Amino acid sequence: MRFLGRAAGALVLLGLLGGCMLPPQPATEGGKDVFNLYLLVLGLALIVFVGVEGFILYAVVRYRRKPGDDVLPEQLHGNTTVEIIWTAIPTVIVFILFTFSMITLGEVDAHQDPGATIEVEGFQWQWTFNYEEGVTIRGEPGKPPVMAVPVGEPVRLILKSLDVNHSWYVPQFLIKRDLIDFGDARGPNELEFTVTEEGTYSGQCAEFCGTGHADMTFVVQAMSRADYDAYIAALVAGETPVPSGGSAECGTTISIVAANTQFDIDSFEVPAGTPFCIEFENQDAIQHNVAILDNGTPLFEGEFLNEPGTITYQVPALEAGDYQFLCQAHPTTMVGDVTVTQ
Amino acid sequence: MATTTLEPRSGTIRRSWVIEWLTTVDHKKIGVLYIVNSFLFFFAAGILALVIRSELAVPGMQFLDHDTYNQAFTMHGTIMLFLFIIPALSGFANYIVPLQLGAPDMAFPRINALSFWLLPLGGILIFSGYLFGGAAAEGWTGYSPLTADRFSPGVGTDLWIIGLALVGTASILGAVNSITTIFKMRAPGMTLFRMPIFVWTVLVTAVLILLATPVLTAGLIALFIDRNYGGSFFDPSVGGNPILWQHIFWFFGHPEVYIVILPAMGVVSEVLPVFSRKPLFGYKAFVFATIAIGLLSFSVWAHHMFTTGAVFLPFFSFMTALIAIPTGIKMFNWLGTLYRGKLMLTTAMLFALGFIAMFLIGGISGVMLASPPIDFHVQDTYFVVAHLHYVFFGGSVFGVFAATYYWFPKMSGRKLNEPLGKVHFWIHFIGFNLAFFPMHQLGLSGMPRRIADYSPDAGWTVLNLASTVGAFMIAVSIIPFLINVVASLINGEPAGDDPWEGNTLEWATTSPPPPYNFDRLPPIHSERPLFFLTHGHGHAVARDEDLDETHEAQA
Repeated sequence: MRFLGRAAGALVLLGLLGGCMLPPQPATEGGKDVFNLYLLVLGLALIVFVGVEGFILYAVVRYRRKPGDDVLPEQLHGNTTVEIIWTAIPTVIVFILFTFSMITLGEVDAHQDPGATIEVEGFQWQWTFNYEEGVTIRGEPGKPPVMAVPVGEPVRLILKSLDVNHSWYVPQFLIKRDLIDFGDARGPNELEFTVTEEGTYSGQCAEFCGTGHADMTFVVQAMSRADYDAYIAALVAGETPVPSGGSAECGTTISIVAANTQFDIDSFEVPAGTPFCIEFENQDAIQHNVAILDNGTPLFEGEFLNEPGTITYQVPALEAGDYQFLCQAHPTTMVGDVTVTQ
Repeated sequence: MATTTLEPRSGTIRRSWVIEWLTTVDHKKIGVLYIVNSFLFFFAAGILALVIRSELAVPGMQFLDHDTYNQAFTMHGTIMLFLFIIPALSGFANYIVPLQLGAPDMAFPRINALSFWLLPLGGILIFSGYLFGGAAAEGWTGYSPLTADRFSPGVGTDLWIIGLALVGTASILGAVNSITTIFKMRAPGMTLFRMPIFVWTVLVTAVLILLATPVLTAGLIALFIDRNYGGSFFDPSVGGNPILWQHIFWFFGHPEVYIVILPAMGVVSEVLPVFSRKPLFGYKAFVFATIAIGLLSFSVWAHHMFTTGAVFLPFFSFMTALIAIPTGIKMFNWLGTLYRGKLMLTTAMLFALGFIAMFLIGGISGVMLASPPIDFHVQDTYFVVAHLHYVFFGGSVFGVFAATYYWFPKMSGRKLNEPLGKVHFWIHFIGFNLAFFPMHQLGLSGMPRRIADYSPDAGWTVLNLASTVGAFMIAVSIIPFLINVVASLINGEPAGDDPWEGNTLEWATTSPPPPYNFDRLPPIHSERPLFFLTHGHGHAVARDEDLDETHEAQA
């Protein structure tokens, strides 16, 4: 029993540490298909896991040799019927898995008329996104490139490597594809996806590509067709587009004013689990921003306003709890409490 | 009772202890050299693992720069696989296989010594990159074109290539030796289907090495030509094909996974029956499942390449999923062996049970990865890192420790201390799960592998910290193990010939066995000659009576 207790404790610990063992909530049509396939496979996996681990624990407790028991157990060499049955079990599981995988693969790899085609160039250690309209978005160190895409329409990426292998990966799309210079052997890889929710999704290179591999991040910003057209038009005109789609997303909006190196409020409250917006106005001629911290760990860091002006921060969803907000240039004087309620 | 003294008298020439070990061609001494050498590399690569985990414990670059980090994980993977797990299991095979076959030595003792001595040489070459401007830093898979000289100009990569080629050559020589020994050196009565399961797994492993490793060696030579003599095998800028490297590497690399796991399965299939006091359930099914895994392992390599967009997904997905069937059979064989047994939870048995419990998790995540859409999400993330550590560490390394606790008495004549062994097992087991289970979730939430740093906003901090704590627990668990080995060598409980009531022939000779292993052998009528010597076919037969009718070891 001591063994069982310890082992059960270890398993519970594992469950807690592993969290929910689920991918992120999918933000694309293909991602939803993959998510559902994953749930099916996880279900099968749990049945096998609980069955086998359960039997091991049962055997250890039930069949443990008593001290002084020198009688041999029955010398069982095998049993053909049982062996045929337990060959059949994994066979059935494998065929279920394979069939559903192929169905999902057909959905994920389907090709449609794309609403936007973007050429992605990966190189050590940055990305370039080339639009058909003739504009190029290039990332800079510390400033990942933003790929604007329309929501609800298929987007096709043409994935080219300018040097070593890279991989374009957005976790919330549940997909990645490698960027490989195939030489003369074949054309570049392509990837299609349809984003279903407006929002900002972070991605990064998933194929090891040398020194700066970890820094090769990017952002996908999915917006309505109208916003997308305006965004691209602004780029074509050579203007810096305002990250749009923002107003549509702000469920809760908190407004904060910085004046005379003081915030106008010392606390605010927002609901847990949903993104919200902070409308921040700087009235001073010196730089301020708003950041949200959990005991010193930044959860959100707003862009600095170096002169008087207004900015809307889109803050990602927070878990319920108590946090602090502050200006990172004046962390001791400009500070307040954030309460995130369930 | 005719006896022949086979022990050579060394009375005329007195050789020093050092010269004796450096020049030995005795398979047992070479086996011990393999194992000791492997553990030294295990500690070196383990320290690298602690360096990696320390850097990843919290966001931000703590004490490494990106290049040093990249070198650390490249060396960690290369050394763990090629200079710890494979040679450690080869070491046990070297020591135990001739004993289990009733043979006096390996077929080619001098080749045996050569294939061992290439290992430390290759390992030192791989590590020596650190002395010449930095070790290789392209990952243990060394993907092209990152390994091209224009992207990785350092000599460390060349040393990595040469060292791996030497280690591969050592493997190939060892495989030839194992296969010859198993086919030609079996004692009278030891038919193929009376061979212990460990011998079977070593045989299939040796065939895999013989077919797969030369492919890697060829690829390494091609890469060396590309880097140093203007070749164009893999670099697309001069007409090469980078995908060719991935095909070559994984055509070796997937059989390699089974090269690493099959002998560990063999160890577990020796340990479980002995400590359940029952035969292995379904011996022949297990043998055929082992052969099936070996065959299938050559048709699945491109499942490492699903996201390259350059392979035919349904075929490789299907073949990969098929491997779950023979693996499932093995799992059920082990459970069937436990069923209605009388389990003795020695440390060796705990590690064997740990093997099946942990390898199961690696097997399940492997089947998940066989599904291309799921692989598209988790390929090259920490999910894969978790999977491969549950197979290699939860599987093979638990197998290595089971073998160590099980065969240490045979090798040294003394048992390892059991309470200290159990302390080792439990810290090891909990630390292992703490280190690697959270990586599943990290991968599912999108953390790529081989990144030196991650954003504090990514939500990966807590799990990474837990993983780092687990890694240090594993390191701590090695302390009681080392104390145990040293203390037991000096003052351990004498083991006698057969401390576990074993089934197989290695327990029929003294501990440690004399040179050339046996003066005489018991009759061999089954895969458990010693069991039948002790217990007869259902009724007891005194051991001495049987011994009188023995075959001469050197008939």
